Amino acid sequence: MRPARRLPAARAQGEWRGECALVVATLATVTVTGLLLPAGDYVSVGFAYLLAVILLSLRIGRWPILLAGLLSALAWEYIFIPPRFHFQILRLEDFLMVSVYLVVALVAGQLAAEVRRQARQERTREESEKLARTLLDSVSHELRTPLAVITAALENFETAPASTRAEIAGEMRTAARRLNRLVRNLLDQTRLESGSLAPRLDWWDARDLVNAAVEGVADAIADRPFTITVPEEMPPVRADFALTEHALSNLLLNAAVHTPPGTAISVTAGLTPDGRRAFFTVADQGPGLPLAQRALLFRKFERGKGARAGGLGLGLSIVRGFVTAQGGDVAFDGDTYQGAAFTIYLPHSAPQPEPE
Amino acid sequence: MTADFQPAVLVIDDEAQIRRFLRLTLEGAGFRVTEAATAELGLGAAAAARPDGIVLDLGLPDMDGTAALAQLREWSQVPVLVLTVRDAEDDKIAALDAGADDYLTKPFSSRELVARLRAVLRRAQPAPESTVVAFGEIEMDLVARLVRRNGAEVKLTAKEYALLRMLVQHRGRVITHREILRELWGPHAEESSHYLRVQMTHLRKKLEPDPHRPRHLKTEAGIGYRLVEA
Repeated sequence: MRPARRLPAARAQGEWRGECALVVATLATVTVTGLLLPAGDYVSVGFAYLLAVILLSLRIGRWPILLAGLLSALAWEYIFIPPRFHFQILRLEDFLMVSVYLVVALVAGQLAAEVRRQARQERTREESEKLARTLLDSVSHELRTPLAVITAALENFETAPASTRAEIAGEMRTAARRLNRLVRNLLDQTRLESGSLAPRLDWWDARDLVNAAVEGVADAIADRPFTITVPEEMPPVRADFALTEHALSNLLLNAAVHTPPGTAISVTAGLTPDGRRAFFTVADQGPGLPLAQRALLFRKFERGKGARAGGLGLGLSIVRGFVTAQGGDVAFDGDTYQGAAFTIYLPHSAPQPEPE
Repeated sequence: MTADFQPAVLVIDDEAQIRRFLRLTLEGAGFRVTEAATAELGLGAAAAARPDGIVLDLGLPDMDGTAALAQLREWSQVPVLVLTVRDAEDDKIAALDAGADDYLTKPFSSRELVARLRAVLRRAQPAPESTVVAFGEIEMDLVARLVRRNGAEVKLTAKEYALLRMLVQHRGRVITHREILRELWGPHAEESSHYLRVQMTHLRKKLEPDPHRPRHLKTEAGIGYRLVEA
């Protein structure tokens, strides 16, 4: 996936250019206006420059504002202070005035920039606090829901007639599995972020990987038409078993959660035509994904609009983390298949055949 | 297991609730249960009471479970089933290398626990070595070096036969890839795991009703293989 934003350096450079242009345009306006005034009234022009610099400092960055202060002082001195159009000051008062102007313009500009920087920091902090609160809310909701089910079910269990006990036990099992998956996802995301993920690459049977993932989510896909396709001649693939298995089971769970009950799900494994990558595609026949959502798919805590209740939005972020940690890649394909399809790609090179 | 024989099991786990639950489950299944909350107490109890089997949690507060196991193995060959958490493949392999007979991942089902424990205890029981082993449609005659499927002989290569024999000898229990590689391909073959994958694929094609969804020649995620008889 190619990010659709400019590089930070390029953006900073573009911004800087725009701000300098603004500085030049503003000062030119003041200068032209000043030239229209009677020649003797250079003090008013000085105030106009100062006002322009201070107004500018509310909008632009630290360095452009420094430039504005210096440029306006030079322009004022050269054009307006007698003798006009000379870098020369005849009167001591004028010299003091220009010096004071320079100091005030520079200090005011830097102060304003500092105030704006602090305001920006405060805003970021508030935003991240808000995110943390939302997260905490959603994590605690996700943890409490299955706990609530288990607690309530246990109370019912003691008094329930024998005929409904199996059903109640089933609910408890589902809740416990949900809790288990949630904890696993939270731990995995933490492992990803702490950078302590060290993939253990080894050769594995592609079918074993798929089967392990399917077994892990068997309860979630039990009611669905389900197909696994792996070519007969598929060679062993090089992967970290646990990471790949978990990435696959997250994709399977996603397919199960985001499509109506009874919708078919398929897993297809194979090698790309050039033989340099092994792939695993999990495809469903659900409603697919609107274009607007595709760019955000793999972001942490991002949940689909209109997604069913439940889930933290960690699934795909973990898939991507686990796959890229193994030098692979994960991609969304909304066109080849009827519904949504996610493909995990892992680097592949044919293993040395065993000597006879 | 006969009705009058109640094997004694020592449970070593620091969580009181897990110990209570294990006692409930295991006593219900006909075991006698003793408990220890730390590795040190556990090793002491193992020496004093000489249990028939041990259930050992790897996450103990006073000592790394694998280190405790290694200590135990210096003087005892008692069957040990270790309890671990998911995604800790390295710990599981280390525990198996240190002499654990099998492992179980938390959270586990109590049925699975009892089945695994019986399997590891069976190893220690002085049962007469049978020379013919059967599972599913397969019959393996270890003396005649023959494998039959539904009565018809199946031709196996030397490697396939050796692999199957190793699984059969450890049936019901997990064998790590490394153990298999070392025994079948020699001490320097640990990097050649793809040989093993390929041989296993062949073996499954010859023996499994559906080689894509093996019922007997099971993969233990990231650890090794296990022969399941049922």
